[in-house]
Amino acid sequence: MTTPAAQEFLRRAAEKSADLTHRQIIRRGIEHYDAAFHRGQARFLNWEAARQQCHEIKWEGVNHLDRYLLEFEKRVKERGGHVFWAADAEEARNYVASLAARHGVRRVVKSKSMVTEEIHLSPALEKMGIEVFETDLGEFIVQLRNEPPYHIVTPAMHLTRVQIAALFREKLGDVAGDDPPELVATARRALRRAFFSAEMGITGANFLVADAGLIAITTNEGNARLCVSLPRIHVAVTGIEKVIPRLQDLAVLWPTLATSGTGQAITTYNTLVGGPRRPGEPDGPEEFHVVLLDNGRSELLADVEQRDVLYCIRCGACLNACPVFRNVGGHTYGTTYQGPIGSVLTPHLRGLAEFEHLSYASSLCGACTSVCPVKIELHHHLLHTRRNAVRAGTRPFGERLAFRAWRWAMLGAGRFELFGRVARALLRAAYALGLEGSVLDPMRPWTRNRAAPPIPRASFRELWRKANGRN
Amino acid sequence: MGATENPSRERILERIRAAVQSPAPRQPAAAPDGRAIFSPVGDALERFQSECAANLTECLVTSDNTASAATIEGVLASLPPGELFVQDAPELRRMARAWQAGRGMRWSSEGGPGEASQATLTLAEVLVAATGSILVSASCGGRGASVVAPCHIVLARLEQLVPDLETAMARVYERGTAFRNSFMGLITGSSRTADIEKLLVIGAHGPRRLVVVVQRADE
Repeated sequence: MTTPAAQEFLRRAAEKSADLTHRQIIRRGIEHYDAAFHRGQARFLNWEAARQQCHEIKWEGVNHLDRYLLEFEKRVKERGGHVFWAADAEEARNYVASLAARHGVRRVVKSKSMVTEEIHLSPALEKMGIEVFETDLGEFIVQLRNEPPYHIVTPAMHLTRVQIAALFREKLGDVAGDDPPELVATARRALRRAFFSAEMGITGANFLVADAGLIAITTNEGNARLCVSLPRIHVAVTGIEKVIPRLQDLAVLWPTLATSGTGQAITTYNTLVGGPRRPGEPDGPEEFHVVLLDNGRSELLADVEQRDVLYCIRCGACLNACPVFRNVGGHTYGTTYQGPIGSVLTPHLRGLAEFEHLSYASSLCGACTSVCPVKIELHHHLLHTRRNAVRAGTRPFGERLAFRAWRWAMLGAGRFELFGRVARALLRAAYALGLEGSVLDPMRPWTRNRAAPPIPRASFRELWRKANGRN
Repeated sequence: MGATENPSRERILERIRAAVQSPAPRQPAAAPDGRAIFSPVGDALERFQSECAANLTECLVTSDNTASAATIEGVLASLPPGELFVQDAPELRRMARAWQAGRGMRWSSEGGPGEASQATLTLAEVLVAATGSILVSASCGGRGASVVAPCHIVLARLEQLVPDLETAMARVYERGTAFRNSFMGLITGSSRTADIEKLLVIGAHGPRRLVVVVQRADE
């Protein structure tokens, strides 16, 4: 682990896991989630069948991506919408920026979209002098703090009402107490002015429905509804992997996403948009644009072993289930997508050499895989990433040498026994001198924060021989 | 407006086509199952009412046009003064004659609802019993009609009620609703957020109050 990103991860992980207040906030948030999730799951007659069907829908969409994207594109164009295919983040940013410039846009309202975070869209628009308002409450809060989202579903889960009240007092000025309803009302007032004056609304998309040519957006607050209703232009920025074959598929995807995301039976607003306002419709934008982002996804598609990572519906369940996430928190990852899915996805989007260290932010316990509503083999992929990194030669020379030596020592029974005996004797001697946990202790990564277990006199093999009289 | 210029389109499609040449395995089902994912819906209206109660939608069942008009008038009387935005539909026009006096009205044929609208009154496309949801489209007074004001009132007929989402989606697809409209929205309860300490707060950006009047007979 030598890259700056890896060092930064370790530094933040150590800091956050020692921050007991932070851990308490996260634990409380996730306990709320767990309780709601189990209630939601119990509403299904057969949760496993729901997961299987969601898996099959995404399998169908992703494994025939060309066909369904073209069908989606054709139908959106028939309704008078525009579809732009962006190979990378820069192309996507430039498209939205030039659209904004062409229309003289001065104010943008945005609903939550991880893809726009991935391509750093807001900073690019702000550089042009455009005011960008995040309108999801959690996103609005982290935007005011000038922070990235902490969690893909609940961006401000690391903050208490007291911190949020202080933030609003400083930035918005009109907050008396710290009651959540009052804080929500304050944000609503601040954002309502933005909604009614913005020229452009930017959203993501949870699904692209091929057979109906619609994008599907899920929110509880109604902010995405306002983003697609009030401004003159609506731009949806989304990944190419979001396409699903049929409108019917939403009948299982919507409830499953809601349950995995927040424990709800179904999210409050599930919105479908297929084009600009049609003649005779009272309102809606004059222009509708969909930006389909590749940005490394087609390369991931070519990796048959990890292709199922593209099935992800961004529910956040694997983050909540992950024992590492629960202790180190979302910002430690230093990525747009946190937790197990982020650790698998980021090396594909931003480089294996720079981000393979995230695959070690896991005990491979498999909790992520067991909760994934589209059955992505997350913990297997974490292991695959480690293997790929070794094959690509990104691991340091010393580590490779050590594993070579380990392998050689392991492969001879006599060698293994000898090294074991020597190591036990040396460790015992070192600990007798009080070196446990010091820089001279070879077990320091473990013993720095923990007591060393007592070192046994005899190895397992010796005990076995004594008990059974043979090897 | 010309066609969107797409310099990378072909390149991305080529990469996708090359990639999907090799198929990825599908995960086997954990157990042989009859694929029944959700509990069956018995009495649709009963289920709709209990789901509405759970998701904080006020569901009021009426017998005919006259009763609906009176029920809606009662809801309007409980609201603070301010403009009412109404979908321009014949049945709502007829009803509105009775209440027009007390309150400023704006019809969807004159454009979308304004910032000052206190309530909106619209029809729906479909009601879904299993989730207590209301499906609206742009034909139901437009896009803003169901989300801009603090209170949204929906008038629906009992025959618009379907048991589950699957039936609802099939209906809007087969009847062309999904193609005639630029927008559809499935609404389940009033606007809410749990972004602060995971605590539920009702009334984020959308309506704090959602009222659905289900009429058994007449039109």
